[in-house]
Amino acid sequence: MSTPYVKRDSTLPYCKGCGHGVVLRALSEALEKLEIPPAELAIVTDIGCVGLADAQFATPHTIHTTHGRSTAFAGGLSLADSVLGEGKLKPVVLIGDGGAMIGLNHLVNAALLNLDVTVLVHNNFLFGMTGGQNSAFTPLEFVTSTTQAGNTTPPLDLAQCLLAARAPFVARQLATDRNLADVLAQAISHRGFAIVEILELCTAYATRWNALTGAQLKQVADRCGFQLGILRAEQRPMFADSYREMAARVRPKAPRSIRVGGSHARLAQPVEVILAGTAGERVQTAALLLGQAAMQAGLHVTLKSDNPVTQGTGFSVSEVILSEQEILFTGIEQPDVIIIVSGDGLSELERNGIFERVQQETLILADTSLALPDVPGRVVRLPLRKTAGVNLAALVGVVRWIEMSRILPLEAFWEALEAQFGAIATPLKAKLSQNTGTEPVTVPTN
Amino acid sequence: MPGASHLELLTGNRLVALGALDAGCRFFSGYPITPSSEIYQTMMGELPARGGLALAAPDEITALAYCVGASLTGQKAMTATSGPGWCLMIETVQYAVMTETPVVIAVVQRLGPSTGGATQGAQGDVLLTQYCTSGSYTIPVLAPSNCRECYELTQAAFYWSERLRTPVILLSDKEVGMTSESVNLDSLNRWPVVERKPFSNNSARFRTYACDCLEDPPNFAAVGGRARVVATGSVHDQEGRLRKNAPEVLELLIHLQAKIDAHAAEIVLVEEEPCEDADLLIVSYGISARAGRAATRQLRAEGRRAAFLQIKSLFPVPKREIVRAAAGSKRVLVVEENLTGQYASVLEPIVGSDRLVRVNGIGHMITPGEILDRVETA
Repeated sequence: MSTPYVKRDSTLPYCKGCGHGVVLRALSEALEKLEIPPAELAIVTDIGCVGLADAQFATPHTIHTTHGRSTAFAGGLSLADSVLGEGKLKPVVLIGDGGAMIGLNHLVNAALLNLDVTVLVHNNFLFGMTGGQNSAFTPLEFVTSTTQAGNTTPPLDLAQCLLAARAPFVARQLATDRNLADVLAQAISHRGFAIVEILELCTAYATRWNALTGAQLKQVADRCGFQLGILRAEQRPMFADSYREMAARVRPKAPRSIRVGGSHARLAQPVEVILAGTAGERVQTAALLLGQAAMQAGLHVTLKSDNPVTQGTGFSVSEVILSEQEILFTGIEQPDVIIIVSGDGLSELERNGIFERVQQETLILADTSLALPDVPGRVVRLPLRKTAGVNLAALVGVVRWIEMSRILPLEAFWEALEAQFGAIATPLKAKLSQNTGTEPVTVPTN
Repeated sequence: MPGASHLELLTGNRLVALGALDAGCRFFSGYPITPSSEIYQTMMGELPARGGLALAAPDEITALAYCVGASLTGQKAMTATSGPGWCLMIETVQYAVMTETPVVIAVVQRLGPSTGGATQGAQGDVLLTQYCTSGSYTIPVLAPSNCRECYELTQAAFYWSERLRTPVILLSDKEVGMTSESVNLDSLNRWPVVERKPFSNNSARFRTYACDCLEDPPNFAAVGGRARVVATGSVHDQEGRLRKNAPEVLELLIHLQAKIDAHAAEIVLVEEEPCEDADLLIVSYGISARAGRAATRQLRAEGRRAAFLQIKSLFPVPKREIVRAAAGSKRVLVVEENLTGQYASVLEPIVGSDRLVRVNGIGHMITPGEILDRVETA
């Protein structure tokens, strides 16, 4: 390349002897060697002294980001370019040990996804810009402004951490390594995620408070138990490769439209329906089919469901409002119909105080096994759970109510059932239509 | 609904996703959180087959950072979350403000503080979404009250996000997001799809943050394109260079607010049910607007002179429309599902505290009946 990425004679904004300057020169050398067109390179910097590096580049894109987040922003660049763009962009992240810890999650995720991003972690064992505080990477016994009697917490082995995160390229080098530029070139040219942790000494703090020179970096690494060199250089599919393959297999979901064709009974007021049962017993499905059937019959519908935080146990309660007019308030103030198919559903309604809002006109359609509280309203008992099994009890309840109320044609419900269940709709319909031989029993209320 | 041809029973969350897709959203990164998860799931289901990219992030911070990174390459990007996730995104939304990066964030509110109530609705994040930047920069906030508005306002969010190069928040809530409604998809209003104004002068050198005037966003060049982008979240000059307190730098900070202020009148989205000689105005937004509208109609049916104003664009605050709608009203009821009347505190200096009545509640949707009670007692 005719123009170096970082001018050879430029004055870098780093202290004399600081490893950051050494890494920056080595990075520039590596980029020149690789001849990456500047337009296809994005230098993404983090916060700290290392974050001053972007200003040293005159030709590639530079993105100076927030603390620890550089890898995530670089990931976004790479994801968009590799999947939606030309797939030529190479983000190179320059981050310190502070940023690597605060943004460890981003490093791990970029490694797992195998994004086409290269990360250079400038590990000088402390926070330099803010006054030499210890970081998660500070070696034991190391003196910093916040570990004045020596650090007592062992340092993170970042390289091991990223190996565990399946990073395909992992290296740990010393800033003083002669082959640093070559290793950086190898990392950047690696197809996929690559991380190089470079050990350095902060000349403002580390060498001032600890009897160390750059020549002793290897001993520091050894005492930390850090392996040096290229620890892994493997190939595996990048996110973009796997994503494209997956995307080629999927089709957009065709919207399921509801044909309005049926008629409905005249509704002077919106009809408020509560359906209460046990999670996993198709309460929500029953409510959905009721809603769809009502829409087919030409009504406006709102539908909402509630269940405990765990999705598959406990109660399941759905609320459906059917109206000739646009529905404004979507809450149920005075239910017109309450269909209760299990003890879980009943308990939840009692807990919720629904029965306090029951009126004389409210229809309560309940399974014969349930012990209902003394409430006003018309109570109808049916063997909902026995008709077609507990998993169809809610659907049976809805079918029985449609039959009784004649608010909408049962045919609309069967159409919704067919749209939902396809081929198995026919046997389902047969089960739901079973005559149990039990006539509805209206229990007078007190 | 006679004549309806394309009816579906869909949730507000799903309509947000469909609105985003129709607005040209090509990138989505999400993290599951009730009550917004369905937006995430829908985008994960739909985008791959439509040539877009949707992916799971390991947390909300990454989700928004992936979106901002993607947007820097020119893609329309979106994420969705709820209060606890929004808290984590605030750092990155500030970065989007500073770097003038378009991105849409759907915040589906739930009851707070902290993890609060995952499946309980609330309108408690109004001020948290607006006053989340150091310096209180105005972030457009749009609040849908039903499925139709979820679709339309999501598109409006993309429109303003791209046009002004700013994050825009779609502020929904559990009851709007997770309630299904009968929707006629054919009758939904489409917003024009806009693109960022591109940098096109090949002879001129691109300067990332150079604007023609304070009131307009800079021209856009994509990271990865031929024009060199210098983006930064630090105070910067027009070149994107870190500078401290230079007049040009301060001017760009002023520009971040000025570009929103200059377009505030265009961003306004309100819906009025006016009443001649109204002596009472009910103001609301989001889920509570439905109860507010129902209560107003009830009052009108009883012969009362009540008007209604639904504010869809909460921020920038549509002051002129509020002043106009409130003119002549002796009382202005502001209905919202939070404890202290968050938007009421924004409206108070506009309508005056002597006639402002807060109608608040938490833990349940405010009912038309509660509003009517306040009309009688306030």
